[in-house]
Amino acid sequence: MNYLRSIFWGLLVAALCLGFAPSAWAFCGFYVAKADTSLYNQASQVIIARNGDRTVLTMANDYQGEVADFAMVVPVPTVLQEEQVHVGDPAIVEHLDAFSAPRLVEYFDPDPCTPVAQYAPLPSNLALSGRAEAEVLAEDALGVTVESSFTVGEYDIVILSARESDGLETWLRQNDYQIPAGASELLRPYIRQGMKFFVAKVNLEEFDRGGFQALRPLQMAYESPRFMLPIRLGMINAQAAQDLVVYLITPDGQAELTNYRTVNVPSNAEIPLFVKEEFSDFYKAMFQTAYEREGRNVAFLEYAWNLAGCDPCAAEPLTPEELRQAGVFWLTQVNTGFRPAPTSNALSNAFVTRLHVRYTRDQFPEDLAFQATSNQQFFQGRYVLRHPYTGEMNCSAGEDYQRSLPERFEQEAQTLANLTGWDISDIRTKLPATVANPIPWWRRLWR
Amino acid sequence: MLRDARDYQIGFLTLFLLIGTLLRDWTLRPEMVATAVVTCIGTQVLLSLAQNKWLRYQRPDPLESAPESLAPVYLNWRSPLISALGLSLLLRADHLSTMALASSLAIASKFFLKSPDKHFFNPANFGIIAVLLLTHDAWVSPGQWGEDLWYGLIFLGAGGLVLKRVGRWDTTVAFLSSYILLEALRNLYLGWTWDVLAHRLMSGSLLLFALFMVTDPRSIPNARPARLLWAGAIALLTFILRNYFYQPDAVFWALFMLSPSTLLLDRLWSARRFEWWVSPQQASALLDG
Repeated sequence: MNYLRSIFWGLLVAALCLGFAPSAWAFCGFYVAKADTSLYNQASQVIIARNGDRTVLTMANDYQGEVADFAMVVPVPTVLQEEQVHVGDPAIVEHLDAFSAPRLVEYFDPDPCTPVAQYAPLPSNLALSGRAEAEVLAEDALGVTVESSFTVGEYDIVILSARESDGLETWLRQNDYQIPAGASELLRPYIRQGMKFFVAKVNLEEFDRGGFQALRPLQMAYESPRFMLPIRLGMINAQAAQDLVVYLITPDGQAELTNYRTVNVPSNAEIPLFVKEEFSDFYKAMFQTAYEREGRNVAFLEYAWNLAGCDPCAAEPLTPEELRQAGVFWLTQVNTGFRPAPTSNALSNAFVTRLHVRYTRDQFPEDLAFQATSNQQFFQGRYVLRHPYTGEMNCSAGEDYQRSLPERFEQEAQTLANLTGWDISDIRTKLPATVANPIPWWRRLWR
Repeated sequence: MLRDARDYQIGFLTLFLLIGTLLRDWTLRPEMVATAVVTCIGTQVLLSLAQNKWLRYQRPDPLESAPESLAPVYLNWRSPLISALGLSLLLRADHLSTMALASSLAIASKFFLKSPDKHFFNPANFGIIAVLLLTHDAWVSPGQWGEDLWYGLIFLGAGGLVLKRVGRWDTTVAFLSSYILLEALRNLYLGWTWDVLAHRLMSGSLLLFALFMVTDPRSIPNARPARLLWAGAIALLTFILRNYFYQPDAVFWALFMLSPSTLLLDRLWSARRFEWWVSPQQASALLDG
């Protein structure tokens, strides 16, 4: 009854744990250890929702050290009051990550003897997580002013302004923050640009009371013409390249970097089936290869799509409520009395751009600056597995099909080698047998 | 050798466009480029014809009794093509209609926004700013050029060649040196390391602007002192808009805002207006005179 069988394209996948460094996801400021634990930032996730000058910044990290040692200093463009700071739900960041992660897609070849088809996509998955930090105090002799000081969730937060970087450094040391050597020089440019400092550490009482397993993301809402993300401070205590995934959510279309080049991550490549088992390794190798190839000084676009939909979906789209929690404050409530939740209409004015930046001090001298555009082009990192048809084939088209397979496998192997830098001969050993070897029909009957 | 300096410009701009499309995965869309070229040249042709008619209507020449169809109409295709290439390189839009609007406004500005004998907006610059202001669909991607030194060199070399032929390299020098000086002072004040400055300057669109837009000999002041002052002012305004108003497309706004001052500067410093080519009679007159 093989005529009943046509195609199905399944779709699976894997998510991508972007697996960069499992050790410590970090952030765009620097961590300040209160003990001598050597901490460094390896990666972090930031959501920036922005419409006009209004900005909601969500910083998530996967801090792995002692909670008591956690502290963070981030330059911010304006003084923030207590109600402008919020502790977010890590699940939102995870969901957004899952939704926009590069994906592996599986297709099954149809029986070449029975032309034509249709498909049904299935969902996939992915991974990540996040949080943040804080602390409080003041002295004016140092030229440091505590603009505000409050506790939000498990964080103690101080907003500082300073006249001189030495004073700020001294203040931080006096208040028990262990500043990495050389911080003062890096703080100065921010002070002179009139920026404030958001300093956070964990309030242990609150943390214990909340029974949290990990630190949750910190969110801040402010208005500023500056659409940027400071990364310079974060390089101070990081030896290696750091990974930063930025989700920019803007109303009209893609957001882009204005001071670094953005390159689309390689996509839509057909690769050998065995990659399914090692997708995470594949993505890491591919990303590293692309990063080196582009000169290590570009940002990679991994996803750009209207939040109203996805195709295929790596995860369920975010609900309006989740988007609100992610900082999207401008969604209009289109529903009137009767209609239930606003879905696609209301969401059509939210566009997410996922940028993956792997940065080092020498290649990324400047902080990241962005701009919102009305670019509606969609993009996704997508890798394709095509399963050959293995059923019985009794037609000449079937023979042609089988003869074409070895060449196709070889092509996939070469694509893979080119993308990842893996050894082609290793890859070839993992390819499916190229000899036409159809499964006997009785095996399918009594499997 | 090519006879018209604009042919070099066309060659280089086309080369950049090809490099961009082939080597960099820009969001360059061929249909956008086609739209820009067709609209620019089309608008130029239409408005030239209309202008000819209008002039004839205004000042009928008693000596010219020949039928219109026989009257020589000089088709200027080089300038609109340069504008189209400039727009294609610098402007991004989601819809073709936006590019068409930018192109037609760019060319129209030459016909409508002018002193008796000189247009004072650079057409491509005018087109860019017009659609940034009028539509919700246009943007400039200053980051997309990347910062490769190699790129900078190609730009510089190519630009230098063009400029030498055109004779307006002084605005480039005045603009770039003023701008670099201002950025360097700021860098010093803020205490950034010098690679920050280098990175800020190593921008392809900045060089493209400095070499091909701020030098447009037809729309900038005629006298050298006026040009130097003018270029310095654009550098200063760019610096302010970029650093204090956080405008990523600061250069284009700065040129746009200061373009009308060309009229004033030309009045203060009079000098002969630039022509792309000099006729033999004019040349000998100049030599004799």
